[in-house]
Amino acid sequence: MKSPFAYQPRPLPLQLASPTAAVAYLGAIVAVAFLYSNPLVLLAAGAAAVTAGLLAGARRAVRVALKMGAALALLIVVVNALVVSRGETVLARLGDWPLLGKVDVTLEAIVAGASGGLRAAVAMIAAAVYSACVDPDRVLRVLRPLAGRSALTATLVSRLVPVTAADAGRLRDAARLRGPGAAAVGKAPLARRLLAGSLDRAVDVAATLELRGYSLEAPRARNRRSRSRYDRRFYAAAAVVLAAAIAGKAVGADDFQTYPSVGIGLGPETLAVAVVVALSGFAPLRGRVSSLSPIRRQTRHAEVARV
Amino acid sequence: MSELAIRRGAAPALAVAGLSYSYPHATAPALADVSLEVAPGEFVLLAGRSASGKSTLLKAACGLVPHFHGGEIEGEIRVADLDAIAAGPGELAAAVGYLAQDPETQVVSTTVAAEIELPLEMRGDEPADRARAVEEVALALAIPHLLDRTVDTLSGGELQRVALAAALVTRPRLILLDEPTSQLDPVAGDELIWLLRRLNEEWGVAVLLAEHRLERCLAAADRVVAMEGGRISFDGSPSAFLTWARDSDPALETPAARLFSLAGIDPLPTGVREARQTLRGMGITHPPNRASRRVSDPHPSDPAPESVLSAKNLWVELDRGEDLRDVLKGIDLTIRRGERVALMGRNGAGKSTLLRTAAGMHEPVVGKVDVDSIALLTQNPGDYLVRERVGDELPGEEGAAALRVVGLEGKVDADPRDLSGGERQRLALAIALAGQMEGELLPGVVALDEPTRGMDHARKDELVALIARLAGDVDFVADGSTKSTRTAAVVVATHDVEFASRFAERVVLLGDGVVIADGPSAEILSGGWYFATEVARVLDLPGVVTPEQGAAALAGEQP
Repeated sequence: MKSPFAYQPRPLPLQLASPTAAVAYLGAIVAVAFLYSNPLVLLAAGAAAVTAGLLAGARRAVRVALKMGAALALLIVVVNALVVSRGETVLARLGDWPLLGKVDVTLEAIVAGASGGLRAAVAMIAAAVYSACVDPDRVLRVLRPLAGRSALTATLVSRLVPVTAADAGRLRDAARLRGPGAAAVGKAPLARRLLAGSLDRAVDVAATLELRGYSLEAPRARNRRSRSRYDRRFYAAAAVVLAAAIAGKAVGADDFQTYPSVGIGLGPETLAVAVVVALSGFAPLRGRVSSLSPIRRQTRHAEVARV
Repeated sequence: MSELAIRRGAAPALAVAGLSYSYPHATAPALADVSLEVAPGEFVLLAGRSASGKSTLLKAACGLVPHFHGGEIEGEIRVADLDAIAAGPGELAAAVGYLAQDPETQVVSTTVAAEIELPLEMRGDEPADRARAVEEVALALAIPHLLDRTVDTLSGGELQRVALAAALVTRPRLILLDEPTSQLDPVAGDELIWLLRRLNEEWGVAVLLAEHRLERCLAAADRVVAMEGGRISFDGSPSAFLTWARDSDPALETPAARLFSLAGIDPLPTGVREARQTLRGMGITHPPNRASRRVSDPHPSDPAPESVLSAKNLWVELDRGEDLRDVLKGIDLTIRRGERVALMGRNGAGKSTLLRTAAGMHEPVVGKVDVDSIALLTQNPGDYLVRERVGDELPGEEGAAALRVVGLEGKVDADPRDLSGGERQRLALAIALAGQMEGELLPGVVALDEPTRGMDHARKDELVALIARLAGDVDFVADGSTKSTRTAAVVVATHDVEFASRFAERVVLLGDGVVIADGPSAEILSGGWYFATEVARVLDLPGVVTPEQGAAALAGEQP
């Protein structure tokens, strides 16, 4: 079964955009998540990433990333609540725990954990949208002249991941099909077998790369102009989001404190940044579709009338 | 020599002189004093048994040997006047394309267009030249509709074409192919061979093709080179090769040639068309008679044995990532104990899914499948082997019984990696069988999924004998004494029509998830074009599928 995060080509703006434009756009959303702690702005960044993914057709990737992000956020909240005892509002006193010592669960620690968890979830959703919508071949093509060895390693790994996943699936199937009288196969022998097989696979893939001329020191060709008519839109969205985030930060839009007590700023500057960030999620909206010009339409109507 | 002179074909596409090669730590050389020349635009078929040196010769011609594999090499090998020993595979890539057996490891990009464009980009071609070359090679191989697809959504046949396109996009003078049809169904396999012939004729690309199924490609070849033990044992025309094979190595004979040999007809035919012409010249014609295809039941009075596999209105839906698809669509099928059944059909027809559902690996969405008990061997026997001693894979009396059934009781202390390919396959089958037998009694169904990939004729003979033993045609002997054994139904999913004609008494043909034909193998394998043996296509007689049956028919006997 194909991974939900695997790249899927679609004739939609985010997929058609050049990789640098797509990376700039999604990177701006992630940058907001790391610049801000205010939950409203973080929620807006999360909404932008989800909207962008849905408009780009990556519904499955978004759904899985949301589940994984929620699980990760919950884990961060729980760990923070158990580890950090700062804060004025004690919700539960859990006594002395081994290693942790005295554990007091405070509202402030929970909110701080939620803020961190939200940040991680936003990054995870944006990464999922990137993985499902940005063509890795085009990214590697951009990377190759800048860092040849890294591009080679990335190419090898990006091919080996699906091949190894397929091998692992086959090995699991074979283990299930062993007769009840055969020696049982634990995880360790299977992992050893998979590793040995992966080395063989890596050699095969490396041989193919050799045959494709990867080892050549030939002058690198110019890359095909990979700009699309959507590039300007994504660069503009990235610039607006970053500018709003930086300006907002300067005027105190990231007003948020957790200790000793929770304080969330919801002033107009925070709201403005949140609105701008949330609206940026609509950048991948499909634009106008070419239609017949009025003259051509009239001619066509006449043709239809004749028929 | 100038680039123009090379392009026009002044130099041979491949020139090998006194080439000897040994892999690192090998005790015997893989190639020994090989000399060979392939002219520009020539189509050469490389024949020989497994481990005869065919693949090594191809790897030497594209520079992987010795550059990638290491080892010791002597002699000279030149590709389009480039010294292949001095130049690496990257430098040779402009002059030679290479296509190996497994297409999965021959693609390195995510999308088809990027995969085909990569060699040109590495060579430093300009974007406009790259775009045109990709478009042209895609048109030549009839894959423009695949250009925007990701490689993980392609079938085996499509992936093989994409890998071929990536090998051809630099317009090499020589293309090397190592059993490219071994994973393809008869339709896709035939298409690939004739595509190669067309490229060879229209583009002038020299072709060096290693294959086991010679009947598939002999008619397309200009010349045949046979190898044995790392040496060239024959080099000549296809018809001369058939005469040599008859006298020196009958395992390399094609079915049509064997038919003519048995019937005492000369010259031996290189393909169906030539065989029919010869027969017509002798006044032997058999007009097709579709109405009389029915073959009588070989055992009409025998009581029907018990059913061991029964599928009723079986529907199976699989998730292919982005979409759910019905792979089996209402299969009704009954298989009885002792039957030898070939499950055939195009790639993606549902053969493997049917076997996996019977083995409990997929749940039907509608209908059901009842199985007495089943041992399934999947396409890669190596996946079953995870330990370093045969006895550790199969401990105890149940393990020993399984090893006896497959004839490996003497290999308990061997390392599975030291076994031959055929022995590894039998060991994997024993692992699937272990504990499913009551003493020496076999389970109801033994199922094998594509067991003949990359096998030569001799190994197929071994497999036919094993299947006959499992299905109870031959007395099962262990410890020097004959044992009473319950037979199994043996169900084999295969693309290999000739192999099916040798082991199967019944053929079930699947098409897009439904049973489109089910009957005696002699009837099914003589009643079509793609899923018919070479002898059936030559003679077009109902029930005549093997060379022996064909020779008997030509002698005026009933098949």
